Amino acid sequence: MARTKLYTAIFVVLMVFSTTQALVEMTGLLEEAYWVAFGLIIALSTIKAVFVAGYYQHLRWEPRAVTYLALGGVFVALALTTAAAYSIL
Amino acid sequence: MSTEHDHGHDFPPMSSVKRWFVTTNHKDIGILYTITALFFLLLGGMLAMLMRVQLWEPGATILSEGAYNQAVSAHGLIMIFWFISPFAFGFANYIVPLQIGADDLAFPRLNAMSYWAYLFSGLLFIVSFFQGGTFSGGWTMYAPLNVPTYMPNIGGTTVVLALIMFVAAVTMGSVNFITTIYRMRAPGLRMRDLPMFSMSILLTVWMMLFAFAALLAALMILGAQHLVGVNYFNVDGGSLLWTHLFWFFGHPEVYIVFFPALGVMAEVFQTFTGRRLVGRKWFVLSMVLVALQSFIVWMHHMFLTGINLEIKTLFMVTTIGISLPFDLMVFSLIYTMIKGRIRYTTPFLFCLGALVLFIIGGITGVFLGAVVLDYEFRGTYWVVAHFHYVMFAGGTALIGGLYYWFPKITGKMYDEFLGKAQFALFFVGFNLLYFPMFSAWETPRRVFVYETGLAFWHKVATVGGFLLGLSVLVMLYNLFKSLAVGEEVGDNPWEYATSAEWAVSSPPPLENFPGIPDYRGGKLSFLDESDLTADGGTATDGGTAETSAATGTGTATGGALATAEQALATEVVESEPEHADHASYWPVVVCFAGFLAFLGLSGVREGGFYPWLAIAGGLLSAVGFVGLAQESFHAPEPGFAEQWPFEGVENMKLGMWTFLGSDIVLFGGFIGSYLFLRVANGWMHWHEAFIPEEHVVMPGLINTYLLLASSFAVVLALVAAERNSSRGVIASLTATWLLGVGFLVNKAIEWEHLFHIHTEAFPEGWALGTNVASSTFYLTTGLHAAHVIVGLIMLMYMIPRAMRGAYLGENQDSLEYFGLYWHFVDIVWLFLFPLFYIL
Repeated sequence: MARTKLYTAIFVVLMVFSTTQALVEMTGLLEEAYWVAFGLIIALSTIKAVFVAGYYQHLRWEPRAVTYLALGGVFVALALTTAAAYSIL
Repeated sequence: MSTEHDHGHDFPPMSSVKRWFVTTNHKDIGILYTITALFFLLLGGMLAMLMRVQLWEPGATILSEGAYNQAVSAHGLIMIFWFISPFAFGFANYIVPLQIGADDLAFPRLNAMSYWAYLFSGLLFIVSFFQGGTFSGGWTMYAPLNVPTYMPNIGGTTVVLALIMFVAAVTMGSVNFITTIYRMRAPGLRMRDLPMFSMSILLTVWMMLFAFAALLAALMILGAQHLVGVNYFNVDGGSLLWTHLFWFFGHPEVYIVFFPALGVMAEVFQTFTGRRLVGRKWFVLSMVLVALQSFIVWMHHMFLTGINLEIKTLFMVTTIGISLPFDLMVFSLIYTMIKGRIRYTTPFLFCLGALVLFIIGGITGVFLGAVVLDYEFRGTYWVVAHFHYVMFAGGTALIGGLYYWFPKITGKMYDEFLGKAQFALFFVGFNLLYFPMFSAWETPRRVFVYETGLAFWHKVATVGGFLLGLSVLVMLYNLFKSLAVGEEVGDNPWEYATSAEWAVSSPPPLENFPGIPDYRGGKLSFLDESDLTADGGTATDGGTAETSAATGTGTATGGALATAEQALATEVVESEPEHADHASYWPVVVCFAGFLAFLGLSGVREGGFYPWLAIAGGLLSAVGFVGLAQESFHAPEPGFAEQWPFEGVENMKLGMWTFLGSDIVLFGGFIGSYLFLRVANGWMHWHEAFIPEEHVVMPGLINTYLLLASSFAVVLALVAAERNSSRGVIASLTATWLLGVGFLVNKAIEWEHLFHIHTEAFPEGWALGTNVASSTFYLTTGLHAAHVIVGLIMLMYMIPRAMRGAYLGENQDSLEYFGLYWHFVDIVWLFLFPLFYIL
């Protein structure tokens, strides 16, 4: 039962964070301070992803090696994206 | 050579054609891979001969310009994709389970599917020659030459689709090998003690898992450009985007090709010097380092593009840096020879030859890693010579591997004289072919018109090429003859060969081992059931094990050994009659269906019979997948195995996570492409210039709510399963399905609206091909939608099963694996939503 409450609380947080992301756009923060808003929105997405992976996908309770496997993919994707984008700045 | 009687059941014998269509046994698949790869070696080799004939004198006209371009491109693609890695994976399939003490790979049917997808992708490539000509833009497929404007023939599209199918085969293989090597090692076989060939394959499949996913992203985008007309590689920054995606795959590919060869060299050097590899630990660490570094050197292939000087300098440093661990490996091999007593057998000669060739290839490569020198050498025959010295040095070692394991696979010894004669012909031919290219380096690559003063070197190279071709024929004659009349060999024809494949008969029995392999005593032994009973399942290696004698199920922690009771339970499962033969038609059916579907897609824009072929392929693949799902086929979890660092993670779960690791990079490739093109076209300019005002946040937010709710519903399904609530599972899965459908309906409404807007800026609507922003939006979110559709199809299979009482209590594993996939799709959307709707 405790676990169900935890999952429900996370679901609420995910919905609230998603709404917040949309509000950042609707309140005009994006126009006023684009890169601050950008950082805020991506940070919220990252937190949401960590919640889903950690609790809904049970990574928190799996051996660490499974997390490292997934992080390996994330690292590779980020290496490609950031280095490629930087190469044309 | 037949071993089919060992199992005492009706698995078709090796002499039966049926056997080869239904087998899922790793040794059979290994043989199929090896033979198929040799076929592609001959095909790629013949194309090379055509090129060498054309190059006999400058500007020859034996081949037309277009035919020469096709020969060059097809030769490169076939040799790199369809010959050299699959050749290595023939050995990997056959040898790795034997070396680690497993009775098969973790997922035998997936292994069969991997092979058939490989074969049919190669056949698809061959068909492309007959569709107005095959792809002719070079093996690197540079943009914009690869886009439909410059590559309009259907054959060009077919090659892109064939490569997509090939990558699917590679990904299936990577998932299978990673799961197998981590989860199915014999007790006592620690990761650090893996035999060198198995170690090399493990590192290779890790690189494959991530590198090929980046290539898959590039190919899917290119395929979409050919089939539905999106704009990616033909817009500002598009050409550079292709080179990034391609070489992000392409440089690790060099090591993907070479690592198995290094593994063969290490095994062969140890066996024929009678000495353990000098500095073995450092050799392994060097390989790990190279595998990691391989992902941060790709831009040295792009020094002549417009990337900035800072990044060129950085990548020059990383590139020079990657040669250091290789130096260590080379010296390790040299010192192993010095410390040991060499026996000059054919496998050793080929591996020694490979070392010499690789040293030449490595040294000449350092020139290309330096920015200034690369300005001069790029696009010349220096590059051609260099990479053949590296890649085909790998091929040379693999031929050594073929001789090395031929007695194990066939039970017959090859003809040593013919083997050595082949090596002499091969080595002379190789160097006559490629070394003159360094002298004639000013010849432009991929062009058959060159300065007349260089003709002598090209004539020498052509003579060398034919000698090399002749040597391959000598090898094939040797192997065929030896198979028929060769001397029979025992378990271990090589003195000092110590890995586990040499501890069983030649060829090994279907079930591989006479008992359960065990390394805990410090060397390989085979336990039988009575040993296990006496042992009581006590875990070693610092671990603990718990078991329930009543159920025969157990859990292991730390030391990764499960219980003896579990092992016995597994034995019982293995002997169930309906699972015993592990034969299945469905892998070949599914992959043949894929072949038809891709062939149909290649010409779908032309109409005619192509769309019907695509539909037929789609329907047949649906039948095939249903057949796979319905078939009674059980690959038991190893009950008694070393499983660090994935103890407690079932094979299927690790397989799913490994696949998701690859999928992360696939989406990373798509999202990275979007970000790159947005930077290239002006980040802040993007919205003003390319996106209509009608593209608003709300549809994306609604879909975020729907997908998050669907993820929560899956979680509730799992909670219900734990409580044995059948109604809860059914209700939660149905809710997931409905929310997923809602997501797609909402998306369809949004897309329909955007397709048909009529504004001043977008009078023709905002469709797939309108501009770069619409293309990136529809394709990236479309890939995500395709994942949602796959999930919904899985649910349509699972809900009826749940209605029959599946997934309750202890049987909730499948539900959890589905959840892993569905939540991943959710996570991807959590980034797509802000990137495509807000920012």
